[in-house]
Amino acid sequence: MSRLSRKNVAPYLLAVAGAALITLVIGLLEERVQVANLSALYLLLVLWLGSRNGILPAAVASLVSFLLYDFFFVPPVGSLLVSGPREFLELAILLAAALITGQLAAALRQSQSVATGLAAESLALYELATVALRLPEVTGALELLCERARALPLVKTFSLVSAEAGEPALVAGDQLDADALAQASWSIGNRRSLGCVMKEGRLTLTTTSPRPQRELLVLPLTSGGLVAIIEGLRSELSDLHMLSALSGLADLLLERRRAAVEAERARTLQVSDSLKAAILSSISHELKSPLTSLRAGLTALASPGSGVNAEQRDLLLGLDGQALRLDRLVGDLLTMSRIEAGGLPDLQPRSFGEIVGGVVGALPRQLSPFHLVVDIPEDLAPVQCDELQLNRVLTNLLENAAEFTPPGGTIAIGAMADEGRLVAWVDNDGQPIPHADLEHVFDKFWTRRATGSGLGLAICKRIIEAHGGTIRARNLRHGPRFAITLPLAVAPAVLQ
Amino acid sequence: MSGRVLVVDDEREIRRALKTGLGYHGFDVRTVGSAEEALPELGTWRPDVVLLDLGLPGIDGFDLLARMRPQTRAAVIVVSVMPGQGDKVRALDLGADDYVVKPFGIEELVARIHAVLRRQVDVTEGQPVVRIDDLEIDLGRRLVSLAGREIRLTPTEYEVLRHLARHRGKPVTHTSLLKAVWGDYAIGDTYNTRYVIGQIRRKLGDDPASPRFIVSEPGVGYRLLAD
Repeated sequence: MSRLSRKNVAPYLLAVAGAALITLVIGLLEERVQVANLSALYLLLVLWLGSRNGILPAAVASLVSFLLYDFFFVPPVGSLLVSGPREFLELAILLAAALITGQLAAALRQSQSVATGLAAESLALYELATVALRLPEVTGALELLCERARALPLVKTFSLVSAEAGEPALVAGDQLDADALAQASWSIGNRRSLGCVMKEGRLTLTTTSPRPQRELLVLPLTSGGLVAIIEGLRSELSDLHMLSALSGLADLLLERRRAAVEAERARTLQVSDSLKAAILSSISHELKSPLTSLRAGLTALASPGSGVNAEQRDLLLGLDGQALRLDRLVGDLLTMSRIEAGGLPDLQPRSFGEIVGGVVGALPRQLSPFHLVVDIPEDLAPVQCDELQLNRVLTNLLENAAEFTPPGGTIAIGAMADEGRLVAWVDNDGQPIPHADLEHVFDKFWTRRATGSGLGLAICKRIIEAHGGTIRARNLRHGPRFAITLPLAVAPAVLQ
Repeated sequence: MSGRVLVVDDEREIRRALKTGLGYHGFDVRTVGSAEEALPELGTWRPDVVLLDLGLPGIDGFDLLARMRPQTRAAVIVVSVMPGQGDKVRALDLGADDYVVKPFGIEELVARIHAVLRRQVDVTEGQPVVRIDDLEIDLGRRLVSLAGREIRLTPTEYEVLRHLARHRGKPVTHTSLLKAVWGDYAIGDTYNTRYVIGQIRRKLGDDPASPRFIVSEPGVGYRLLAD
């Protein structure tokens, strides 16, 4: 009975004292006025106790009232005996009425208290949710939620952690010590709750006996988790209800926070990407404009109508060749910067043969001294690629081949499908690449020529690898081969 | 072949070089530094070809293109410094006839100018039969034949080929092909045009990797070779 405090006994004392008082009142009244069934006065007491303290004190009041009424008013007065059936019936009715009244009142009290609790919970949540969702800063809303949770008698500390990049970090609420953080990290990492279970939207504490005084609860949420220290001895149902509801809201808010963080990150990246693009385009413009003047001027002076002699014309065309070389260098540097500035290739299913056709068609001057062999099966599945970038790769490979093939030599370009991948090659019958150089040809600024930028093949490698493909150089018997592989596209359904 | 060429470029040195260089090739050349100056020249001088730099201060090249198209039949070659294809496609869709990328040599430019001038003559004469090598497209009778043998095309394939033939030698964008064949409400899915072009090439025995008739312009569209 150690848990029987003064507060717990009071309703029973009230029951006994109240019944005694009413007995006295009935005795006094009965001497002066003739009123039938004054025993109904006891029901007032039962009703009051039932609605105030529940069923047990009401039952005690009923029983005490019954005994007192029997002793003092039912003949034979002064004894608990009953003289006849009428008196017996009167007593039985009193007892039954008292008990039923007590029970009804107690039930009413119970449902009223539940309703009040629910209403308070809903109101609190509604207010919290409205404020939380209205706050532009999701962190403010999370702090508010922690404050509300901490106001619950059950809860001692309450914190919300996020789980971006694997490691949980405190987002709102109370500081966590290293131990709590380690436990939270484990729990969220493994998606296993600690000290509680969430089932069908209801939080229940897992019982460990004896329940420790203070207990750590960790509940993993969609993006992050909830960490609370509760006072283990109390587990008021309404507190748990509130806590479950708060965890639901916390889940929403943490998810919103994650989305906001990601959106911000994406926006920053985009801004930095478009800034890089703007800078590159401006540099491109600044470098290309003077080159355009130079080339247009030099080639104009070299025109047949300009009146220069053959020697002067030769000089002018030589200078134009230098301007062209400068343009190539600038172009390579800008392309490399663009690739390194990021930006994924725009992958689409494209006909490899068509791209080869476009590249070959655009290089008539460079390829005209050679015998060109193109061997691409017409039924080759489309390749998954960024058309312009692949165009660039093939242009570089063909120009490179043209550079190292003696005039009249053969340049061969071919392709085939092999287990879901495209295998393509550009061969030439020039000198083999020295063995020691084979592994360096794709390095940035490495070149076999005196005049090259050393970027052409490095650009090819970057582009092909960004496509999830490979590029290799090796020597065949007749000369060097550059081979690339690329993923083939899953061909879309034929439509027309 | 000669003609009147209007150069619209904000770089003075480029204007001077082009005036001199194109002059040596027999063209009558005028140069202006902005779209604002170009508009009156278009109306009064009536050039045959406009060399239009897209990156002009004030009214830019695209705006000028859009404004001049209703009132002039001059061929327009856009000049752009950007290697990206977005500008080319946009300019072609606005009615440009061809494009060259800076920096270019005079010979290359002269070849492009001759090509657009030749096409202008074709268009004005409204040739009913287009011949490329042994391919014959009879636009009046809707007949296509290769080395004298009739090639059976579906109506869609014929429309695509007809559109290319009417602009032969000129890059035709995916968008303009889509619109010409499937109407203004065609959705911008280039897969349709790619598929139809593939079918036409197969029927004409045209290997896309070494094309005789239809070449693809990467990121832009297609071009039917002229002769």
